[in-house]
Amino acid sequence: MGMLVDAVKTFNEIKTKLHDSSDLKSRQVQFFGTRITICYIAPITDNNLLNDSVLFPMTSEQVKPKEKVVDYLKNSVMSSIEVTEHNTIDSAIQKLLTGQTLILVNESDKILSCDTEKITVRSIAEPPTSVVIKGPREGFTESIKYNLALIRKRVKSEDFVVNMMEIGKLTKTQVAVVYFDSVVDKAVVKQITKKLKAINIDGVLDSHYLVSYLQEKPHSLFKQVGDTEKPDILVAKMLEGRVGIIVDGSPIVLTLPFILIEDLQNSDDYYSQPIRVTFVRILRFVGVVLAVLLPGIYVALEKYHYKILPTEFLVTIMNTTQGIPFSPFLEILFVVLLFEILYEANLRMPQYFGMAMSIVGALILGETAVNAGLVSPPAVMIVALSGITFYIIPSEAAQFSILRLIAIVIGACLGLYGVLLFCVFVLSYLSSFDSYKSAYLAPASPYIENDQKDFYIRKTISEMKKRPKSIANNHKNMNRRGKNED
Amino acid sequence: MKINYKQLSVLVFMSFISLKLLALPSLLYVDSENMSWLVALVLMIVDAIYVFLILDLMKKCDEKNILEFMNKCLGPVLTRVFLLVYIIKYALVVANISKGLEFFVVENFYNEFNWLVFILPLMALIGFMTYKGIRNIARVSEMINLAIVIGCLYIAFQSFSSADPTAYIPMFKDGVTPLLKSGFNHLSWFGSASFMMLLFGKVDFSSEKKWTMIRYLIFAIVLVQIMYYVFYGIFDNISATHNFCLSDISQFSSQESSINELSWLIVALWVVAQAVQLALYSYCMMQAIKFTFNIKNNSVPIIIVMAYILIWSLVGENTIGLERLFFTPFASIITILAQYVIPIVLYIGYIMQNRKRNAGMKKEIKSVIKLNPSVNVNRIKIGGEK
Repeated sequence: MGMLVDAVKTFNEIKTKLHDSSDLKSRQVQFFGTRITICYIAPITDNNLLNDSVLFPMTSEQVKPKEKVVDYLKNSVMSSIEVTEHNTIDSAIQKLLTGQTLILVNESDKILSCDTEKITVRSIAEPPTSVVIKGPREGFTESIKYNLALIRKRVKSEDFVVNMMEIGKLTKTQVAVVYFDSVVDKAVVKQITKKLKAINIDGVLDSHYLVSYLQEKPHSLFKQVGDTEKPDILVAKMLEGRVGIIVDGSPIVLTLPFILIEDLQNSDDYYSQPIRVTFVRILRFVGVVLAVLLPGIYVALEKYHYKILPTEFLVTIMNTTQGIPFSPFLEILFVVLLFEILYEANLRMPQYFGMAMSIVGALILGETAVNAGLVSPPAVMIVALSGITFYIIPSEAAQFSILRLIAIVIGACLGLYGVLLFCVFVLSYLSSFDSYKSAYLAPASPYIENDQKDFYIRKTISEMKKRPKSIANNHKNMNRRGKNED
Repeated sequence: MKINYKQLSVLVFMSFISLKLLALPSLLYVDSENMSWLVALVLMIVDAIYVFLILDLMKKCDEKNILEFMNKCLGPVLTRVFLLVYIIKYALVVANISKGLEFFVVENFYNEFNWLVFILPLMALIGFMTYKGIRNIARVSEMINLAIVIGCLYIAFQSFSSADPTAYIPMFKDGVTPLLKSGFNHLSWFGSASFMMLLFGKVDFSSEKKWTMIRYLIFAIVLVQIMYYVFYGIFDNISATHNFCLSDISQFSSQESSINELSWLIVALWVVAQAVQLALYSYCMMQAIKFTFNIKNNSVPIIIVMAYILIWSLVGENTIGLERLFFTPFASIITILAQYVIPIVLYIGYIMQNRKRNAGMKKEIKSVIKLNPSVNVNRIKIGGEK
């Protein structure tokens, strides 16, 4: 601005810039003979806060200012925590759009803004995707401020860093990059920040909008960015050297670097008995293999290698598959597709239809198909088993279901030999991944001895003295505990 | 794209056992009969000694690739001659593994099998792994290693009680000559450490643990010897007719009437191990081609290797052809050169080069001392050492 301007004119200019938006409100006030225009956007402004921190102090002030009105208002009158001076209309508008109130003082070259943002947020609840039996139940909400507060509540360290930035040309969404300064690998933070700053899109409505920009292989089937809805998990991940990315409007916080083992671990694991956790983790590994390969192996065995099957089992299968009009491949494919359709419908359907859907889908449809001789009971059982084991690791279910389909097709075309080569190919493909300087399959490959304590075997927290080497972190500061305790 | 010391140890371990557990035991039996285990034992121990020789050379020549090092030591002409030897050596090994794998798969998995169905997916996998490089192959080997070991031990111990120890006596009934003949004839099945020559400057020794490699080598030799003990103990004088040691042993299991259940899983695992080994040797062949013909990118040598595998699969339709190529004195001489002669020549070359460099340095130091007599000689480093 640089020159003295009329408050009403400035307000009109703001109004024009906002295309006469109806929710832009204003109020004229006389402050010791100086005309002041207060403007705000009604839906995102907290009326009580506006009244308490701006209007009431202004209208009830008794002492005539000796300094400039703008300075006096800023220093002595307004009781808001954050009061900022702006020299340009554009920067003031940016604040206005976040829920702040602008104070336009007549004959002044500055605009004041003060924080009157109305935060509408649902209450903190347990996230549906990370239900735990033991452990904290707080989940993130859609407000970045609340989410940061949930983290700060757990972290009382000067090492905790929050880097705020805005992404989205139109939405100007607030994004926070959070990490522990002494733990994180600075090169990783730099790489992430650079990628985030380079994003040029109209809007960011959820944290997943950023995923494809952060992935090192954007077209890959496999998940490359971690996510969590729980502050305790985020802090635990940051303590290992990861970086968190919080997006305003999303309850899901992204974490990087991401390695596959993360999805096989659960926050519950760290609050339960290690022996039980070890057993459960081995079950999860077996579950993944069953989920992806079982239908493919079944098709291969039935089509090419029935001599492998024990005789009693072979006789049972032959009896049940007699008269089925489809080949083993088509039969399994039919059941898998049916399962996928049911799953998709169940997911999108209103909750009160869910139960009915399950009964119709699982019981009536499944049983009728078997009774009608369209599919055999072993096929239904195999797909059901595979389908259930998917949800041992729900966050990987989407990509595993694609892998399962590929395995079925390969099993039908090439038999067990093809399925084996497919397994080696997947392992080889995943081995070639590096997520922000961290090997995707670590600590299995490359084998990292230190990290075996929290792999398929979980040792006690007191035995895990060092930070994982699988994650790129500040290796100079490896000890989780002080020297005296070691 | 460096691999670490542990991964190198795993690769050496896998290459030590991979070629030994299928056709070799039956082939050895033709010449050396019940003393075949000794032939394998001696040659594996020699290979193990060479592993340490090459390792020492690798450590001393860290941060150099084979071409730079050979060029420096031997000059460009001899370097290319040596590299050609490696190309032939790996071409033989690749042919042997791919054909062996095909027979193994056909024999154990299918009643009817189209070779194209076998070779095309295999080529796609090998091409991908070779393209991704040695680190990728090492990582996959690292993951399957434990399963392979457990599987082999399971198969061996399952049939252990069926093996007859009297099959091993009398010992040396025809003297040592058949053993020497057998060793020479089948030399191309050994020489497992020479692939390391092509990993110069690509191994990270920072995480080295003194006993890692020794442990892996001892375990590989013991594992192969256990399998041979069971194999010869079971099949005795009909050993030569059993082409697939691993799967044939499991068929003879004392606990199972036919090959099924868990044994199948292990046979399947062996297919995986062989595929990974094929990728390793294809990578070595690709590297040797790349260096010999000074090709900058990886794609062309990979295409050449893949074409070679495809052509081999086309022409090498029967086992007789493969045996003729693989068990000739030619193949043995190539192995002697690649595995036993070239590393020694390079080692001598390194020592001579180092001496020459040290002599030059000493001369320089002397001239410095002449000019500045106050210089402390003990603080001057020569050739990386004080």
